[in-house]
Formats: sequence, structure tokens, C-alpha cells
Amino acid sequence: MITMDPVVRECDVLVMGGGIGGLMAAIAAADAGARVIVAEKADTRRSGSGATGNDHFVCYIPEVHGDFEDFMRELKLTQAGLNADEPVLRAFAARSFEIARDWHKWGINMKLNGQWTFEGHAYPGHMRTHLKYDGRDQKKILTREALKRGVVIENKTPVAELLTDRAGRICGAMAIDVSDTVPAVKLFRTKTVIAATGSANRIYSSCTPAWMFNVAGCPACTGTGVAASYRVGATLVNMDIPAIPAGPKYFSRAGKGTWIGILRDYHGKNIGPFLEKPSREHGDITSDVWPSVFRDKQRDGTGPVYMDCSELSEEDMQYLLWAFTCEGDTSLVEAMEKQGIDLRRHMVEFGSYECTLLGRGVEIDPHAATNVPGLYAVGDQVGNFLSHIAGAATMGRIAGERAAEYARTAEPDDRVENHPVVAERRAFYTALMERKHGSSWKELNITVNQLMDDYVGVYNVRSETLMSAGLKYFGDLRKRAESSVMCRDAHELMRALEAFDLLDLAEVVCLSALERKETRGGHRRADYTFTNPLLNGMFVTARLQDGRPVISMRPAR
Amino acid sequence: MPPVIDPKKCVHCGTCAQICCMDVYGPAKPQTVPQVRYPEECWHCRACVMDCPAGAIELTYPLPMMILCKDAPARGEGGDRP
Repeated sequence: MITMDPVVRECDVLVMGGGIGGLMAAIAAADAGARVIVAEKADTRRSGSGATGNDHFVCYIPEVHGDFEDFMRELKLTQAGLNADEPVLRAFAARSFEIARDWHKWGINMKLNGQWTFEGHAYPGHMRTHLKYDGRDQKKILTREALKRGVVIENKTPVAELLTDRAGRICGAMAIDVSDTVPAVKLFRTKTVIAATGSANRIYSSCTPAWMFNVAGCPACTGTGVAASYRVGATLVNMDIPAIPAGPKYFSRAGKGTWIGILRDYHGKNIGPFLEKPSREHGDITSDVWPSVFRDKQRDGTGPVYMDCSELSEEDMQYLLWAFTCEGDTSLVEAMEKQGIDLRRHMVEFGSYECTLLGRGVEIDPHAATNVPGLYAVGDQVGNFLSHIAGAATMGRIAGERAAEYARTAEPDDRVENHPVVAERRAFYTALMERKHGSSWKELNITVNQLMDDYVGVYNVRSETLMSAGLKYFGDLRKRAESSVMCRDAHELMRALEAFDLLDLAEVVCLSALERKETRGGHRRADYTFTNPLLNGMFVTARLQDGRPVISMRPAR
Repeated sequence: MPPVIDPKKCVHCGTCAQICCMDVYGPAKPQTVPQVRYPEECWHCRACVMDCPAGAIELTYPLPMMILCKDAPARGEGGDRP
């Protein structure tokens, strides 16, 4: 049997994933007097999609934006309104400034040139909602602040399962210690869990399918927090509507909003109508308004589409190159240098990347609580609210405060060691580790990717027959994978469990997309080619009841 | 294959293996040059290069991740586009 660490860790608040949302949650819970542990897959100083930086932070500052309602109107109209429940959006926006001030105090430079500077991610003539900042050391600084408050950080410890008591309340969690080549199971006894594991970034094929980890967000984020929450009864929402990032083609990298340039065609003609000349204040928002522009123009033969920054002044060019380092894109800068690409005289081709579940996932209320007592969710893995770094940070604080408060009175049944899920999962992990021959985790991940691309894809159409067939194939794949995947060490076990989580989420995406009988955004149904106005503001939800998925629709709140 | 450690410069501190978000290095043995066990799983976030105290790591970029470019259009006098 796979080794079990005999020490059961005890805490009031267990944070699953030490990214921006997780660390902010841990800091807030510790400030509220809770005993906090962060269980992190890698090392919180450099993990997750904010590992090496970010440069835009959505923030409402009264002296800059004036009336709160005007700010909310802009946020809903152009930024984060599509999949969001308004009460959550409001809870976030109202407290976003206090986070920016604290971050600045802690040493993250939020005031470029000594003042609050709002640039980029904006429509010409509209209010600017994104504070420009330098996030290159944000993870190290938040880690230091968490440790200062007595938070215990357990690195190399990916949480794999959540545990609930007989009343359905959170009572613990199960993780894998991957610090050595030989894995061990670690148990946590806790009254609350804050799930903060980011998006599922390896569920569809990468834009370079043979290079699976070339994805825009951190490839270690595979939706485990979403899948594990679903398995204990949490409601998921908006899994049917795909998120499609874009950027330099084949060099998959988040940070499209950092680019200051104009999208142009092969001959240098502007693609969109929004800007004539690039400026620091406004990048080209053409691909935000028209997300399929790169694929559309490739398919109709009028492509490729390029990002042209060559008209920037030298001062603005230096500013752009510096902003890439704030955003954590130093590899992009280095790769361009190594290839002899100079943005002063070269245009770079842009393209769409793999689809992700960014901002699709666990449903929360304005306190970041899920429908499972004791379970909270924050960051990219939330399904009814997305505001990237600022959203993760602010809702992280709210979740930490609420979880600490809940933990003061919660008394879940003490049954972690003898929990049936622990016994069942331990046996499964052991089978994966003891198999001498079989399939690698990579085969499972690739098969999930190819089925997602073909049967519930975004670059192909979706339909009742395609998705029903896809669901059947995912079931077949599960049976084969459960009896054939083998792992040779702790690293491979971690990757295999990620791939099984992706498989769980693949089925929920299929079921949710079957429920939306219309075409909307990247969800293109060949059998329902129209957008149904009666479904405006309607969200598809999915949850497990007595082991069976229940899919329904609800109005946005 | 990314990343590449210069064994002459490496000070065996293990920082790269510890902070890698993808566990590309796997567990590092104390006082040794870390191995790059899972090079294909690199995200090219460049954290190891940035945090190496000895400047011993260089990232190489795989050919499939080639950045595609062409010359920007020439402009007329005064910076106007033709």
C-alpha cells in the first residue's frame, strides 16, 4: 500500500493551492485568529499563473473613478459582466482598493511613478478599470506576509480529495506528498477548506499539441479544486461557455493586455476600428470584441493577423518591454531576443490558444462560500465571477475572513483517518503505483484533449450527437484508464491524478454544453445555430446528487 | 531542452528544483547539480533563471514554440503609413 504519513495535520482553515487567492485567503484567516495551513502543489514563492508576475489589477478608487455605480456599469459592460453574478462582482469591487493599498504597503509596487495609474484593458472613451502595477515579486511577498502571521505552508503537497462528514460538512482533505520520488498520503483535519487551484489549463489540446505544457496559464493548474469540490457536492456553473485566450501564436503566454500595438493584416492594414495609433492608455481591444478573429481570418484566407508595435516612440517601447517583466513574461522577451525579433521593426503573428476553464467552475456567494458547508472557493476556479489577479486577491481575503468565522463554531464529525474516501482513494493510488505495465498519465491527458477538441470543442461545432458520443467515449476512457494507468514515481502519480480530474471536468463540460440549446460566444451548436434572447443571463449549473449529475439552468443573480 | 544548468557555475543550493512550479527537476539531492528530469513539462516561466543565485541556468526554447514574425510595413516621411 502507498505510505500514509502517520501525522494528521490539524487546522481551522486549510487553503488548497497557494496562488494569489490562496495566499490572500491564508493571510486574512490568520489575521482573524484561525490556525491556517496552505497545501501547495509546488512552492508558493513561484507557483500558479501569477508565478513570475502580473501587471493589471482591476480596482475601484473613489478619487479616480468617482461614483461606484459608474465603475460597476463599466465593469459589467466591458470587463467581467458576462458570466458574473452581480452581488459577487459588487462584493469584490467594493473592497478591491484596500487590497491594492495593502499590497503597496507590503512592497508590491502598485503606484507606478508614485501614483495610481490606470492603463490598458480599456475601450477608447471609456473609464479605465485596470490599475497598472509591477507584480514580478508578488508571490514571494505574499508568502512572506503569510509566514509572518504564523501560516504553515506545506509545499510539494497537492491536495487531491476533500472529505465531508455524515452531514455533508467539510471535515478534512487528502493530499499527496511529492517532495520525494516515493509518494506518501497526507491527511488534514480541518473545519474549512478554501479551494484556490486556478483554472484547468490542460483540458483541451495546446496550440502546439505535441508540446502539451505550452499553455497560457500555469500548466500545473488542472482544475483539481473544481473537480474535488464537485465530488463533494459543490455546484459548478458556466462550464458550457469556453474561455479562449490569445497572444503570440505558438508561444502560449497570458498577458495580451500588456501589448501596446495594433492588430494588422499581412499588408499592414488595421483589422479593427478601435485605434489608429497605439498608446499606453489603450491597447487594441479588437480581439476582446472579436475573440475568434485569428481563427476566422486564418480560415477565410485573409490572415495571418499580426501585432504591430513598430509605431511606438522609443520611450513607449522601453515601457512595453519593462511591462512584460512586470507581467512575468521575461521568457517572451528573451525568446524574441534569441530569435532576433525587434518589435521596433517586426510584427509578431498572434493566434488563439487552447480553450480553458478560466472563470468557469465552482459557484460562490458574495462571501466566497459554496453550497457545501465549510467549503469556499476563490480565484480562476470560480464559475460565476472572474476578475483575474484582483478578483482572486480580494475574494481570497473575503473567503479567509468568512472561513475563520465559520470555523469558530463548526464541529464536523471527527472521522478523517477512517474516512471511506481515504481508504478507497488510497487503494486506487496503490493500484496506479504497483502496476508494472500499462499506460502513462500522458496518454490519458492526450486522450482527454483529443476527445474535448473533437466532441465538445470550440474550433469545431458542438451538437447533441457529437456531445452525446463524446460523453460515451469519456466513460469508455475512464474504464480503460482506471485499469491501465501506471505511475513510476510521485511526480507521475501527481500528473495522473491531474489527468483523472481533467476527465471528471470533461464530462461536466459535455453535460453542461448539452443543456445550452443555443449558440453563444465560443459555444457554437450546429443544431441550434441562433442565440436565444430568452437565455440571456441564464447560467447552466451542474452538481452531483446521490452520485449522479444534475444539470439545470438558473438566472444570473 | 529547457532548462540547462551550467555545472561549473551551479552552487548546489537546490533553489531551482524547489521553486519550479512544474516540478521539472524533480527532487534535488543535497549538494548536487539538480537533474532536469521532466524537460518537456517546462512552462518557460523562467523563475529558475531569475532566482538562481549563481546565474547558472539558461532556458532554451523548443522549436515548436517559434515566434512568427515579419517586417512591419515601411512608413512614409513624417511617420505616416503609406
